[in-house]
Amino acid sequence: MKVKPESYMFEMIRTELADAVGAANVDVKFADKFGHSIDYYWIPEMWHDRGRPCPQADFIVHPGSTEEVSKVMKIATQYRIPVVPWGGGSGSQGGALPVYGGIVLDMKRMNKYYGVDKESYTVRCQTGIIARHLEWNCNKEGFSTMHLPASISCATIGGFLAHRGTGVLSTKYGKIEDMVMSLEVVTPSGEIIRTLPVPRHASGPDLTMLFLGSEGTLGVITEVTLKVHPQPEAREFRAYIFKDFHTAMQAGATLMRSRLGPCAMRLYDETETKTHVSKVFGIDLDKGAYLVFGFDGRKDIVASQMKYAREIMERQFKGKDLGAKGGEWWWENKYKFFYPGYMFHVPQAFGTLDTVADFAHIEKVYWAMKNVVNKEFPDARFIGHFSHWYEWGCMLYARFIFPGDKVPPNEREAAALYNAVWDKAIRAAIANGGVINEHHGVGLKLGRYVKDLYGSAMPVLEGIKKQLDPNGIMNPGKLGFAGC
Amino acid sequence: MHIDKFEDAIMNCRFCFMCRHLSPIGNVRFTEVDTPRVRAAMIYGLRTGTNSFDDEDFVAALYRQDLSACCRHHCVNHFDENGLALAVRADVVEAGKAPDAVKRLAAKFSRSSAWKVEGKGDLAWFLDESTASDKSAVAAAKKLFAAAKVSPKVITGGSIGKALKVLGYLPEAKAAAEKFAAFLREEGVKTLVVSNPAAVNALKQDYPGFGVKLPCEVKSLAGFVAQAKLKFAKSAGEVYALADDFIRNYQGCKCHENLLAQLKATCRPFGTNDEESYNCGEGAVVLDRLHPQLVKSLAEYVAARADDPKKDRLVVGSVYAKRALVKYGKLNAVTIEELTASCL
Repeated sequence: MKVKPESYMFEMIRTELADAVGAANVDVKFADKFGHSIDYYWIPEMWHDRGRPCPQADFIVHPGSTEEVSKVMKIATQYRIPVVPWGGGSGSQGGALPVYGGIVLDMKRMNKYYGVDKESYTVRCQTGIIARHLEWNCNKEGFSTMHLPASISCATIGGFLAHRGTGVLSTKYGKIEDMVMSLEVVTPSGEIIRTLPVPRHASGPDLTMLFLGSEGTLGVITEVTLKVHPQPEAREFRAYIFKDFHTAMQAGATLMRSRLGPCAMRLYDETETKTHVSKVFGIDLDKGAYLVFGFDGRKDIVASQMKYAREIMERQFKGKDLGAKGGEWWWENKYKFFYPGYMFHVPQAFGTLDTVADFAHIEKVYWAMKNVVNKEFPDARFIGHFSHWYEWGCMLYARFIFPGDKVPPNEREAAALYNAVWDKAIRAAIANGGVINEHHGVGLKLGRYVKDLYGSAMPVLEGIKKQLDPNGIMNPGKLGFAGC
Repeated sequence: MHIDKFEDAIMNCRFCFMCRHLSPIGNVRFTEVDTPRVRAAMIYGLRTGTNSFDDEDFVAALYRQDLSACCRHHCVNHFDENGLALAVRADVVEAGKAPDAVKRLAAKFSRSSAWKVEGKGDLAWFLDESTASDKSAVAAAKKLFAAAKVSPKVITGGSIGKALKVLGYLPEAKAAAEKFAAFLREEGVKTLVVSNPAAVNALKQDYPGFGVKLPCEVKSLAGFVAQAKLKFAKSAGEVYALADDFIRNYQGCKCHENLLAQLKATCRPFGTNDEESYNCGEGAVVLDRLHPQLVKSLAEYVAARADDPKKDRLVVGSVYAKRALVKYGKLNAVTIEELTASCL
């Protein structure tokens, strides 16, 4: 629902919003709204590249407290105005785009840091804090969230909570949902609620988990208490080149099954090793698949873990040892992959087919996606790496890339081609035991697959949505829920 | 258009978020429009018609930029979004779309090109208007020259073109640069010592860009003092040194670090990290005149990151930064020259 700027209702609502958060914290200018009309999703980037205007919000509202969020929600409910929470705007799924207009609730003014509880090793903060700033604050106190994704410099902690983000140390420290103690949430009707203070209990279903990954469709997460960890005495990496991706996958899975507990592991298929890893590291890795892993903690324990891990890599799977240096290349350059020049860029068409599966299915998922992309879209290149590993399986970070000259000049045809790749590849992944997705979220991009994914459980999800947000004002059109 | 010289920055920054955490204005206004990503995307929109200089709010955002260049310093590609910002301001001015406040300020600097000289010799000290307004900084500089056993002639007054360049008035900036170079030639200056890092940057980087040759060697006062190897009666003790944007992000100069080492200063890390600029808009030179409230917010942001705002001794590169941090941040800030002079 767009609120027409020429209507007096626009001024009525603006006045009420200004009363709630202060006039200086309500933006209605084109320049301000423009910044919130493009996120990291390829479609709006391409749309802007082609000179097409992207859908904009009517109001950009910057609340400074939970109470102000509550007031805004009550106004939105009264007038049935869509509300789209916005953190850093760096999501790749279009989850924060105001496709139906209304209010963009930019949370970055809510950036208070309340410090580390040095008895419980937890930290409390408002959710609008940029994750890098939160990490810096924790570091100053000798701690780390250990949540270090590539988007740490731009995303807010609220963004990570809203779509269940993952950092590079997820293999040991878990995804964001494993790090949360409790949440404060403002519901669509403006109620302020708190979930239970600890994550392990037998006091009924876990409301914390209900809101994690809800992508702003069930409420606004305003405050969080997270676990933190002391900085480790040692963190060591090692890398290997395996003859092919299959052997490397077996080596990685064996390391996970060994329960040695690496803090990180990443495996790049042959194509990505050759084209991408080589470029970022500035070295020639012409053949094979690059696998890196690391351990952190007490120095003596890390040394012991590394010793046994090396036996797996070298004796069992005959990996070519690139040494500690080969592992440090990755750790030191882990974010470089995402800078322009190393990351794909419009006018190329590209997307990350983020999928997760257990070890029994992950290779099938990889081949199913790769084969369908190669067969159906011969102009596209398919590369993949496996970036978050768990005891039972791992995440496939598969990507397709069309060169710019193979993308239709007409933006609607370009969008259709792009969506067709997702249709084929995602359905191939789901059919082979994959789950979309592991950490990018659903947003606008993948909403149409949620029904396929949830199957008969979909009405349960829709029932929860209806109970919490009967007017459908919260981030409409996202996560497979209805638009407005 | 001037922006066409910064194609890399336009095309690469417009969808990139990697320096978002370092956007000083974005971090105090909590906005997207005050980030390199959105500025570049809007500048790209000039080509497709999505955006236009007729949008006063877009132009206002371009003149809110702090020009710290910390995004360029941070970026693995060092894309020059800062240069793009200066270029687009020049395009704004040529399109006749500069905001009134900018026009007034530019007119003031365009009129101001009369320099005064006191003293003799081929060594001169350029005492810019900003530094001259701070008696303590001036006294410190004089004490340092005396310790170095030199008596430079003092050049005061007049615009040397930096503010005009920052505001987008390139022909006027170039004209000021040519006049100043001619003035130095007439005065027979062989070595010019300059207090203000912005002025040093103008002379060392802007002037060659304009094709203006100086008849003299240019040294920052901090660099000059560091080279003089003065004997100090006492060490500087514990300080928090805030890297000046011009020194760190523009020129990559180590003169402040060298001087602090000579002073046997114990430098404690300020804030939570060494990536943020902790600036108050000194890169934008006249941000305090265009947007004092914004400079206040920047100073408060810095103050909020001090370990002990009342006790910590902050060392900064310019009188501009000192003034903002003292006035708005209520911090105990001195210029590096003042700190050095206090150790003699």
